[in-house]
Amino acid sequence: MGPLIPNGVIPMEWDSIIAILIGIVFGFILEASGFSSSRKLAGVFYGYDFAVLKVFFTAAVVSLIGLYYMDYLGYLDIAQLYVHPLYLWGAIIGGIIMGAGFVAGGFCPGTSLCAVAIGKIDAMIYVVGIMIGVFLFSELFPLLEPIYNGYFYGNITLQDSLGINPYWAVFIFSIIAIVAFVISDIVRKKQKKIFY
Amino acid sequence: MVKKKIAKILAFRYKLLAGILILLAGGLVLLPKYQEHEGIKPQELLSNVISPERYITTDQVAHKLINRDPSFILIDVRDEKSYANYSLPNALNIPLKKLLDEDSKSYLNQNQFDVVLYSNDHFYADQAWILCNRLGFKNIRVLKGGLNCWFKTIINPMKPSENMPTEAFDLYSTRKASSMYFGVVYPEQANVAGSETKIKAPKRVITVQKRKKKPAEGGC
Repeated sequence: MGPLIPNGVIPMEWDSIIAILIGIVFGFILEASGFSSSRKLAGVFYGYDFAVLKVFFTAAVVSLIGLYYMDYLGYLDIAQLYVHPLYLWGAIIGGIIMGAGFVAGGFCPGTSLCAVAIGKIDAMIYVVGIMIGVFLFSELFPLLEPIYNGYFYGNITLQDSLGINPYWAVFIFSIIAIVAFVISDIVRKKQKKIFY
Repeated sequence: MVKKKIAKILAFRYKLLAGILILLAGGLVLLPKYQEHEGIKPQELLSNVISPERYITTDQVAHKLINRDPSFILIDVRDEKSYANYSLPNALNIPLKKLLDEDSKSYLNQNQFDVVLYSNDHFYADQAWILCNRLGFKNIRVLKGGLNCWFKTIINPMKPSENMPTEAFDLYSTRKASSMYFGVVYPEQANVAGSETKIKAPKRVITVQKRKKKPAEGGC
């Protein structure tokens, strides 16, 4: 049956509308759980608040397990799902730059827009910074193109590259998640409590 | 008292949730594996096989051919040699062996045209139909009786005897007319026409759009 749009259960024309609805809900929940505060996001790096790590890791693990159960029961064909293509060095360099920006500014692109919506000045400046970054990237694109389009490995997943059973991968991933939660809790307890 | 009890349980809530998570993830690993079916379910296939809906009569096909109905494709599932020997006008040849090739799939797995499969009789075409149906291809039909029936009914229709109803005569004249369209010359007609006129329907070019598989885009 699923995925719904590629299999025509929901017509293709609806996908922008659904995207907008999901976007609204996503933004609302980001803001409601306090992710539009740069201090909460930076907390992951300073070790006084691991909510971001926990939320995103839990979301990933829950959806992963749910998807594989749905695949097993025949409601969804996991082979039809979109797998993001891997451009190895583009991903590594981009990840480092984004991580640096994340620590320095205390926002990820999504939460910065959330924070702009509730009128945070630091977020507005952050978004201006994103725009400058986009402009620089576009201007330097001919120079950066070999990295942008090179080192292409196709739409591969961990299971393809490591050759392990997906179910075991899910199991190991959940164990890693729980271990990460426990460790993050220990780290948080050692830190001085910060009120913000 | 009750509050205390709840607080006692709630103190373990993270361990509980972690336990559920591990249980569910472990369940995936321990689930018995099975071979997944490709295409439709066996029950559905059986009910499709029993149903005579897939058959299309030679008269219907003749009618469509004469009217140059653009909505259907004829596919000959016999081998190349038989196809070269004789086939229906504008038919494509996809031998049963090549039925599941990538090239043939673009003709079979689409929903723009009705596909009519035929062979000498309809049994060979039925085999092709079952394969296609199993994979969930839509709009696949089988010519009832195949080419043998085509010859008996369209090319060389039996003249009705005098004690038969009017419908039989009507049918005969329709079939006779269509056989003339497909190039049969009758003696009483040959005298009038003088020379043999072989009418051949022009070859039709069938374009089948390959169904685009657009991957869903994702991102953060």
